[in-house]
Amino acid sequence: MKDIDKLQKRNRTYRDLTERLGSTGLAVSGLIGLLFLGVLVWQIAEPTFISGEEGEIPAASESIPVTDYILKWDFANVDSETGELTTEPIILRLTWEDGGGEQSHDLQVNIIEEKGVTKDVNITSDGLDSEIVEIGRKTKFYLYSNLEVIVEVEQISGPVPSADSNGYPVVDSFVVSGDIHILSDDDGELVFQPLELVGYAVLFLLIIVMTWPKVGALNALSSLQPYRRFIRPVFYTISGMTLAISQGMFVAAALGAVCWALSGVMLNRILEGMERLQNIGRELSETSRLKHSISNRDGLLMWSRMLFVTSTIFIPLLIDIPFLTERYQDIFVPYASGIRAAFFGTIWVMLIAMIVSIPISVGAAIYLEEYAKPNQMTKLIQALVTNLAGVPSIVFGMFGLAIFVKQGGIGWGLGPSVLAAGLTMGVMAMPIIVLAGQEALRSVPRSLRESAYGVGCTRWQVTKDHVLPSAMPGIMTGSILAMSRIMGEAAPLVVVGATAMILFDPEPLAALSGGNAEFTVIPIQIYFWTQEADPAWHSMAAAASIALICLLVAMNSIAIVLRQHFRRRLNS
Amino acid sequence: MSEKIGGEEVPDSTRELDVDGEIDLMIEDLDLWYGDKQALYGVSLPIAKNSVTALIGPSGCGKSTLLRMMNRMNDLIPICHYDGKISMGEVEITAKDADLVEIRKNIGMVFQRPNPFPKSIYDNVGYGVRLHTKPSREELDAIVEKSLKRAAIWDEVSDRMHDLGTSLSGGQQQRLCIARTIAVEPDIILMDEPCSALDPIATAAIEELILELKKDFTVVIVTHSMSQAARVSDYTGFMYLGRLVEFGETDKIFSDPDLELTKRYITGRFG
Repeated sequence: MKDIDKLQKRNRTYRDLTERLGSTGLAVSGLIGLLFLGVLVWQIAEPTFISGEEGEIPAASESIPVTDYILKWDFANVDSETGELTTEPIILRLTWEDGGGEQSHDLQVNIIEEKGVTKDVNITSDGLDSEIVEIGRKTKFYLYSNLEVIVEVEQISGPVPSADSNGYPVVDSFVVSGDIHILSDDDGELVFQPLELVGYAVLFLLIIVMTWPKVGALNALSSLQPYRRFIRPVFYTISGMTLAISQGMFVAAALGAVCWALSGVMLNRILEGMERLQNIGRELSETSRLKHSISNRDGLLMWSRMLFVTSTIFIPLLIDIPFLTERYQDIFVPYASGIRAAFFGTIWVMLIAMIVSIPISVGAAIYLEEYAKPNQMTKLIQALVTNLAGVPSIVFGMFGLAIFVKQGGIGWGLGPSVLAAGLTMGVMAMPIIVLAGQEALRSVPRSLRESAYGVGCTRWQVTKDHVLPSAMPGIMTGSILAMSRIMGEAAPLVVVGATAMILFDPEPLAALSGGNAEFTVIPIQIYFWTQEADPAWHSMAAAASIALICLLVAMNSIAIVLRQHFRRRLNS
Repeated sequence: MSEKIGGEEVPDSTRELDVDGEIDLMIEDLDLWYGDKQALYGVSLPIAKNSVTALIGPSGCGKSTLLRMMNRMNDLIPICHYDGKISMGEVEITAKDADLVEIRKNIGMVFQRPNPFPKSIYDNVGYGVRLHTKPSREELDAIVEKSLKRAAIWDEVSDRMHDLGTSLSGGQQQRLCIARTIAVEPDIILMDEPCSALDPIATAAIEELILELKKDFTVVIVTHSMSQAARVSDYTGFMYLGRLVEFGETDKIFSDPDLELTKRYITGRFG
């Protein structure tokens, strides 16, 4: 054996060892990290979204305009052996005013040692369905009511709960549950009709089949081949029916109808592709060929995917998540608050910023990259744009304040309004989009331009037919990322004048029509909530953060889907 | 006037050259600079109609530049400027106010690397036609089919007209580019080393195609392959250091060149 072999052998053992150690270490630390993240998310999400949160016991009387309550005590007041009360009885007095005048009912709550025992109480117009309930320690029980009234809950006797080291009462809280009615509205009615849901599922399956064609699925579909010419009429009919039998929820019905129609076209496309393959004597198992012959034609698959992804992401808007789309901020009760105003404020600010900034910035990028002569002036503009992209956002806020908000001088006098905020954010996004757009345009290969000029294109034809489509993925990704950046930005809007609390939907054009133009956005709402002394507001801020992150993820996934589609189209 | 290049007296490249038959394109005394660097020195060259003219010469001798000058492709390079005259019948190509779109429609170009548009095969061919005319669906279908047939690629793509042009193989892509070029029915087709990125079989297919195209079009081809120039061309110009050193019928250039320089290059004894 040669010396080098011996050395190598020893080295190999060492290498294998480090390799194994390293990868195991990475895997373990990755898992720990994931676990940690999961716990973190759960810690934030669980109390606020899923079960409500321990918080301050309200003052003796609290009027909460929502009719479901969760209550929880963390000690027993029933002796487990003798069954006798060890403390004064806990008595809640529930009062409300309905058609039959003022009603007042007392409810005794006995708490036993055993956890997990629970009993719900229904509040009806005839009173309570039980006068005494027995529940476990640290266990939630619910007060329900279908009455459209304000039920006041008052504890009139019973032990005062213990406080934690900060002096805050920690348990025994009155909590409004974050009740999420999935696929149903407030009255428990289904938002989606079954037909719409089926259409949605069919579309999903077809997208899967089209994206990853598998022989099994295709064989199953091939039995439909004799009926190919009926498929589209049938699907269109179902689509029409979906619309016809919809009950009020137009958005859901329209979504279902579009799903059915798209499914029809897609199924037809798949069968057509299979037929074409068979005509030229190919096997179904050549799935890559099939993929080629069915997709990539007019973006059908992309539009279906887009529809599917966006509707899946935005279905929560159709579903009732009270926190997001229903509740305004409540002045006194954290858990009765929501971010409806901030949510719509964010959407409006973003839309205005998008409308203002994207066309201008893409135009500027095209001018700088394709048209401008490479002289000193262009270099200066380029340098300015590059530097502008790095300017702190608060400076843009000052700019917006001077130009859009203030009256007189160069000011447009829009006041602290959605419009002024949207314009400010639009200005902030512009340099980012210009730079991303330029980068994308620059990466279009010269050969593409040459071939276009070679067949006799004018400069504009080259730009619009060839360069711009090729640069589209980059431009769109840049734009959407710029939009998600401004969505999370709070500083400029503090300057422009976002409000801490508004109790109505912001109107985008109120500044022009003279209406009430006050607005707020989610980051500002988070900021103000964290300023509150009561820790209960902090968990509301955490919930709002999660909502903001979900919006960002939604935006970025749209960017990814778009980019993947266009990239595939250019590269395959 | 003559210069001494490569140890040999070379005749002035602005000298009058002649070809048999009708002259399609005439280049007269063309100088060209990239910034300060001169790339072409007083080149004069006649291109005969319905023939294949090959330009050969070592890398950097200006043959691609000369070719790209014929349809003003060099205008895309900002630092490029020139002096001299290129004319195609009545039309002066080098005129300041020349209609570049019209020129490039009449003088098509096939590039070194196949560069189909990232569109469907059908659109690749139809795009140029739609750019210049407003054909009906049937007319366009007919033009696309005819062009693909003339480019000898119809049989391979007729069942996949809506696939991407970029999904074809290299040789097919190059023939697609040729189809794209002939779809707008130019008078002249310029080919800039069309086979340099292709394997021998694809090269053979393209060469066969060039001989076929000669019947309807005038072809100017830049090539690095001596044998290719000998096989496909009727006239050959040998360029060296920005000058057109020798020009004549291909048979003559390859069998009995006037200059020792040309002979050395052709036989591969270039030093």
